[in-house]
Amino acid sequence: MEWVETTGRTIDEAKDAALDQLGVDEQEAEFEILEEPKAGLFGLVRREARVRARVRPTRPRPKVDRRDRKRKGPERRPGSERRGGGSRSGRGGDAEPTDGGAPVSAPEESTKDAVPDGGAPPVQRKQEPARRKVSAQREGEPMTDDVVDVATQADLTVEFLEGLLAAFGLEADIQRNQVEEDVVEIDVAGNDLGLLIGPKGNTYTAVQELARTYVQRKATGRHHGKVRLDIGGYRQRRREALARFAHQVADDVLSSGVQKALEPMSPADRKVVHDTINEIDGVSTLSEGQEPNRRVVIVPSA
Amino acid sequence: MSEVSDLDTGSGTEPAPHARAVLEYLVRSIVEAPDAVEVEVDDNGRRPSLNVHVGDGDMGRVIGKRGRVAQAIRTVVRAAAVRDDVDVDIEFLD
Repeated sequence: MEWVETTGRTIDEAKDAALDQLGVDEQEAEFEILEEPKAGLFGLVRREARVRARVRPTRPRPKVDRRDRKRKGPERRPGSERRGGGSRSGRGGDAEPTDGGAPVSAPEESTKDAVPDGGAPPVQRKQEPARRKVSAQREGEPMTDDVVDVATQADLTVEFLEGLLAAFGLEADIQRNQVEEDVVEIDVAGNDLGLLIGPKGNTYTAVQELARTYVQRKATGRHHGKVRLDIGGYRQRRREALARFAHQVADDVLSSGVQKALEPMSPADRKVVHDTINEIDGVSTLSEGQEPNRRVVIVPSA
Repeated sequence: MSEVSDLDTGSGTEPAPHARAVLEYLVRSIVEAPDAVEVEVDDNGRRPSLNVHVGDGDMGRVIGKRGRVAQAIRTVVRAAAVRDDVDVDIEFLD
């Protein structure tokens, strides 16, 4: 099965998280809402929304792609072979026009699949998507149900960055550091990397987002752990500046006894603030607001 | 289309090789059908326009939800265009 399960403050947020993981557009996914969110007083007590999502299994993939992916995609790890995929070796998948043809037929099929019109023989309706699903996985990426470990994600990230640097015509040194058991940081160091950081780190953020998209599309599944990216020391400098800033605000809160809300920040930046503040006695943090306007509030501890 | 215009420098150099290379790379990295990706450079406007064509069904992947992937691609490609000393437009066409 290739369902992913995610949570969020709202159904939409949970859906977004699921789409992030699946790496597809909303129209290509189907959702099941497992739990509605429950808002508490002042947004403090709440239950998160929980959804389940998967890529609609009806669309056969273009043949070209399969071949290409094998050639220059990340090499398949033995562990990601499909269980019970006996049929896999038996078929010359690449050469055969399998699974009923071109992607052109997709819309029609998905409609048919979605509308229980009762016109088509039920048996066929049931079986077709299942068969396709198997073939898509067989030819494509590792199974969604597999855990994609952090080492694999790091490999893919490095692969993506190497290609990007080559396209830029830049030379850089890519290093990976295992900073925690399930956290790998990838550092890109070299000259002229300012281009890849950009004003206010815009390009850095975009590169990071595209790297994540790449990893998610090459290896669907439950992504375990986290890959962080640093380019030219930007992330490090940004973290240090944020931590200094958080310290200053914490001092204010401590001396005044009045809580302070910070300006909205990205999740990564918020984490830096949370981590910094939680090491300081007498203050703690909470988050409020919706992405992308979610912000940290620094409050005096009771 | 095949006519060489008078304004052509004749050197056959394209206006934004780095931007184009980066654009092709990024789009091919995230679609299902990399071989179907084509980038054509339209140099007739005020500034070069890089027009991206992708295979059937891949446009959604390139755009991403709320256009986030497309926006990230534009940002990175514009950075690459700095190396080419030009400003470029990036268009995703069906």
